[in-house]
Amino acid sequence: MSTPTLAATAAGKPRKSRAPREIIPERELKGRWWRFALLFIVTAVVLIPVLVTLVLSLRPGLGSSATGFTLDNFITVFRDTLTPTWLGNSLAVALGTVVVSVGVAAPAGYVLSRGRSKAVSSYSLLLFVVQSLPVITAVVPLFILFAKFGLVDNLNGIAIIYVGASMSVATWMMAAYFDSIPTTLEEAAWIDGTSVFGSFTRIVLRNSLPGVLSTSIFTFLLAWNDYLVAIVFLRSSERFTLPMGLQSFFQQNATDWGSVMAVAVVMMLPPIIVFATLNRYFSVGGIGGSLAGR
Amino acid sequence: MSASVEGALGKARRGVGVAGPGRAGAPRRGMRRGALTLLLLVLPSILLVLLINGYPLVYALNQSLHKGSLIATGDFVGLDNYANVLTSDAFWAAARFTVVFTVVGVFGSWLLGLGLALLLKTRIPASGTFKVLLLLPWVVPVVVSATAWNYLVATPSSPVPRLAEALGLGTPLFLANPTLAAITVCLFKVWVSFPFMMLMTSSALTSVDGTVYEAAQMDGANRRQQFTGITLPLIARSTYISWILMTIFCVNDFPTIYLLTGGGPVNATTSLVVLAYRTVFQNFQTGPGVAIAFLMTATLVVISVLLYRQIRKSAVE
Repeated sequence: MSTPTLAATAAGKPRKSRAPREIIPERELKGRWWRFALLFIVTAVVLIPVLVTLVLSLRPGLGSSATGFTLDNFITVFRDTLTPTWLGNSLAVALGTVVVSVGVAAPAGYVLSRGRSKAVSSYSLLLFVVQSLPVITAVVPLFILFAKFGLVDNLNGIAIIYVGASMSVATWMMAAYFDSIPTTLEEAAWIDGTSVFGSFTRIVLRNSLPGVLSTSIFTFLLAWNDYLVAIVFLRSSERFTLPMGLQSFFQQNATDWGSVMAVAVVMMLPPIIVFATLNRYFSVGGIGGSLAGR
Repeated sequence: MSASVEGALGKARRGVGVAGPGRAGAPRRGMRRGALTLLLLVLPSILLVLLINGYPLVYALNQSLHKGSLIATGDFVGLDNYANVLTSDAFWAAARFTVVFTVVGVFGSWLLGLGLALLLKTRIPASGTFKVLLLLPWVVPVVVSATAWNYLVATPSSPVPRLAEALGLGTPLFLANPTLAAITVCLFKVWVSFPFMMLMTSSALTSVDGTVYEAAQMDGANRRQQFTGITLPLIARSTYISWILMTIFCVNDFPTIYLLTGGGPVNATTSLVVLAYRTVFQNFQTGPGVAIAFLMTATLVVISVLLYRQIRKSAVE
């Protein structure tokens, strides 16, 4: 007697509260599957280039009779080519850029976030203009300048340019994050006699890990993916970063797709790993949002 | 300049209201110190922007007025470089392609991104997975995807031309025929950029209050009316911003074009950036090359500032 009652209430309760969602009209359900099919096809077509890269890198090399999948291409590429050097160069440049860029952009973003004045908002406008300047304009004068200081064909040289190129967006992203931290904490600290710098490092920065991560991801991808600065400034193949390395390797071995795609996979894996693990902090929208707010 | 900055920052410091009534003496010193700190905090960023962006701009302007090479600045020639550039067919052909590339790039990626964002917003199984997978074209480095696209379309024996042949469409030479090459490059740009538009639109759509639609439904608005009457106006601001950003991305884009076609065939896909790059680093004509880049920059800056004002205006409303 009691059992059916319990079952009825157990089954009845959730159904009651979800009633409008649980009962889906047949037309709506059919539409849902249509949309799923459409989305599936679009996604599949869009991913073809990525899948092709992956599959070719895993196929046996030229002249090999083996079938199926193998890691031979990766072994060859790491043993016989400069790929390990390129990978190291790219990692060093990208990580160095992230550290310096966030280190400079975070304090600047703090000033943009807390300052309410003409000077601050005109600096914000200046950053906006800077953001729209084509890199190509800056590259020629910088090439001439850097040549005097031995910074052409030098990894430090391109890292400096990446830091400068990422500065405006990185500053906005940090400022947008700081905007979300209430000022009441700092005000309390000031009354207790903490300096502005102290309140920035000990209170604001400490609570800004997500903002720092978003900015780092943006900066890392900028430095990792760049081709234009690299093609102008890097001359010798031992100094190449991966984009230059992949491009030169592709031009020399255009028919050996297995090896070419192995280098390509080496290059696309770090961004994909960063994206997969730090997905939450990957905010392209944040760039636009932070822009809108100033 | 420095005095005005300090004064302004002091005002900022006061704005957050540390100084309570009756404490006027002590905080004033603290305020000055605070302003100095703020100035020091922003200083490295200002120096970097001046070095990497400001200095080259001034130098480039000067360079564009001289007949020089990469090694020496050369003789002063006034506006000759600009005159030569503005009267050359190559410049206008590149400008035309830049406009086509930008318009297709911005609106193509926006339409695809908007469509997918709307699709993902509805209840669909595994929509989270789809969203992540669809972001891959934006995450994968352009150098890698250009290599993959090259594999897919470059030669007559590539998979896509072979597929077209099997379907009885002949053997299209995607990168050798001028028109097809231009279309292919634009498609490639749309492919690379639509995830950005999708993300921007998605985040704008999530901030739209669902009750608005319920109210509209009560009033008998159909789906299309809801879309044009509610959705589009409510995401307008974010849409404008994404258009501006994408315009900047497209005009300044070098690798997407250069890696796929190198600007060819017969310059059919040479944009202004590619033309400037070639003029400087392949023909070693620094003056005209920089003049091209500078004309492009000036146009972009004017457009950006105007649009920035527009956004700020719509922010006030």
